[in-house]
Amino acid sequence: MEPSSLDAFFGPSRTDQPLGFVLSGSLSEGLGVKLDPRFSVEHLAVGRYVVIQGYQSGRTFFGIITDIALGASNPDLAHRLPNMEERFILEVYRGEVAFATLHISPMLMLDEDEEQPRPIKTIPSHFSPVFEASAADVARVFGDEDDTHFYVGTPLDMEAVQVNLDLARLVERSSGVFGKTGTGKSFITRTLLAGIIKTGLAASLIFDMHNDYGWAVKDESGREYKGLRQLFQDGQVSVITLDEETSRARGSKIDGTLKIGYEEIEPEDIEMLAGLLGLSEIQTGALYFLHRRLGKNWIARLLEDNPETDELQEMVESGRIVAGTLGAIRRKFEAFIPRMGFLEPGAGNNAVDDIFNRLRMGTSVALEFGNYGNTLAAYMLVANYLTRRIHARYVHQKNLAAGKKAEEPRPLVIVIEEAHKFLDPTVAGHTIFGTIARELRKYNVTLLIVDQRPSGIEDEVMSQIGTRVTCLLDNEADIRAVFSGVSGASTLREVLARLDTRQQALILGHAVPMPVVVRTRDYDQSFYAKITGETKTGSGKRKSTESLFGE
Amino acid sequence: MEAGTVIGRVTRCSTRGFAGAYPLNLDIPPSFGAFCHAPYQEEGYVIGVVYDINIEDDPLARQLASLVDVPDEQILDSQHNRQIPIEFSVLTLGYQEGEITYQILPPRPPMTLEPIRLLTEKDLIAFTDKLNFLSTISLNPSVPVDDLVVASILQAVRVRPESQRSQYLASAGRQLARNLAGDLHRLEQILSNLSLALPGVTNGK
Repeated sequence: MEPSSLDAFFGPSRTDQPLGFVLSGSLSEGLGVKLDPRFSVEHLAVGRYVVIQGYQSGRTFFGIITDIALGASNPDLAHRLPNMEERFILEVYRGEVAFATLHISPMLMLDEDEEQPRPIKTIPSHFSPVFEASAADVARVFGDEDDTHFYVGTPLDMEAVQVNLDLARLVERSSGVFGKTGTGKSFITRTLLAGIIKTGLAASLIFDMHNDYGWAVKDESGREYKGLRQLFQDGQVSVITLDEETSRARGSKIDGTLKIGYEEIEPEDIEMLAGLLGLSEIQTGALYFLHRRLGKNWIARLLEDNPETDELQEMVESGRIVAGTLGAIRRKFEAFIPRMGFLEPGAGNNAVDDIFNRLRMGTSVALEFGNYGNTLAAYMLVANYLTRRIHARYVHQKNLAAGKKAEEPRPLVIVIEEAHKFLDPTVAGHTIFGTIARELRKYNVTLLIVDQRPSGIEDEVMSQIGTRVTCLLDNEADIRAVFSGVSGASTLREVLARLDTRQQALILGHAVPMPVVVRTRDYDQSFYAKITGETKTGSGKRKSTESLFGE
Repeated sequence: MEAGTVIGRVTRCSTRGFAGAYPLNLDIPPSFGAFCHAPYQEEGYVIGVVYDINIEDDPLARQLASLVDVPDEQILDSQHNRQIPIEFSVLTLGYQEGEITYQILPPRPPMTLEPIRLLTEKDLIAFTDKLNFLSTISLNPSVPVDDLVVASILQAVRVRPESQRSQYLASAGRQLARNLAGDLHRLEQILSNLSLALPGVTNGK
């Protein structure tokens, strides 16, 4: 093969021996490659990178192995096995009569006279040689770590190469971290958040259901890791708790306590909990009526010991509300609201303004739920309550900024766990989270959803998720959901289904130039040192690349 | 092309092959699967492989065969002093013009009575370096394909240094696998025969 200027880009270190040659394929389905018999199929792995040298042009294509198969040139082979004791015969058969094929998803291409690879628009022709990508090839695609690019892990079998996520693009659209329970979602999310906070690209509002982010965190083996508040001790992260007692018991350094006054709660805040509280559609509708009639004291009035207040009595008697409906609402409120210590009679402690101001100043807020994290309804109530109000403030400020009356609001990333509960098809259409996911970066607010059941999230919302960081998933529906709205990515499903259970993730979408399987960065002392010890200067100029799933 | 040992002269010929004959008292008679060449019109050499060796009978041989007790001297005399030559048939595999060797049929056949010589080791190694000749043999219905393939590969392997034999045999095997992938029974039979004939090579020694 003629040497070309591409060698200067992709580097000379890959082996000269092709892995195989392109024999079939399409842009949408990926390429079929016959493995050269000199290579052992047993040493390959899905998720590895390959470089394809275009046979008819000087183009170089960059792809990922998405499937490995065994084939035979004669279908009779399955019924007529050769003598298994004849090593020579087996050697001859292997590679010719019986061979291995690779399925490769081409991702990027690089013209001879270009320096930066871009998303593919065509495929290499028949018989184009396919090489294993060298570390230098991969490193060039993912660039250097700098002001906006954050090291999140290394590609499989390439410990020396850093995969650097484009955090500016990550926060530009909503993102997701998916994976089965116990696959390390929280660790990856904490790593990403550390990067976002360190680079100052956005403030984060973290609804920390299981106390995984703010202060010290323990893994399944009991080992303790630093929370974000400990990593950023210069005020870049605040911990606000709903459960002061538990936070103090855990030794968390807290910066505030969230109290929501009954008077601040609106029917919209409760509506999302209808399923959890067991409110029927009629009862949910009645909440609006009660709020309208009783005013901002509506919760307190409904919880009063003597229910037979004149106004409620009059409503029932006039037929505006059925006594059974009112009774059911009151029973359900009594069973839920008084148990939530962060809900208190009166006007609350103005937590929304406090949190909004912190976020506006660029301080990320981890909202520790303490023991309330075990109550999904509490989590949903608070997440919905705060997000609705903070989003409204962002919308207001963005509109002011459009009229040149205020500064552009600093980008905000809202982190929610158990996201499928918020973005379920039955509720996503009319909840604030569905709205945020759909409106993209319009108001500088995006979501970072952490979830183990992506199939439970509404399709339209999933399709708006720009960057997907996916740990092991083995449920078919979940795997399908992760790839929804990403053209051509379904070929990666085999890669996803075969991730290790720990510390491996497939990252695809807006923030990476091409899908990548990473062994995620260790969250350990070296990580702490890197985060706390570094200044914000970048380590080098990056060759930026367009995203595969770009605009 | 170097002058190898003469094994006979051309008696009949066409571009697809030629027949040769040799006297009974020849020191090194041709063998099945031997690579040989014959000149054609002073331009080059036709290269082929021996695929058949034929000994005709004669009235004396028939009479002697019918007798019960024949002295050994008479048998030997009749075997070595016959007037009828031994004939052999050669399948054309290619030709050489100047320094270039082609593994396709030659433009012209050799003339009758041109000497037929064995390829020297050097020429044999050079000619069999490309494995297209295996396809020529495999696709020819008029020759005993499977045995000829085995015999020709054996020749080509044995003439090579030991260090190259295993790799060459594997390459030849793969070429056969490409040619005969549609007939696994034949392919396995040929490979098995090669393995039996070259146990040291097929065991990777």
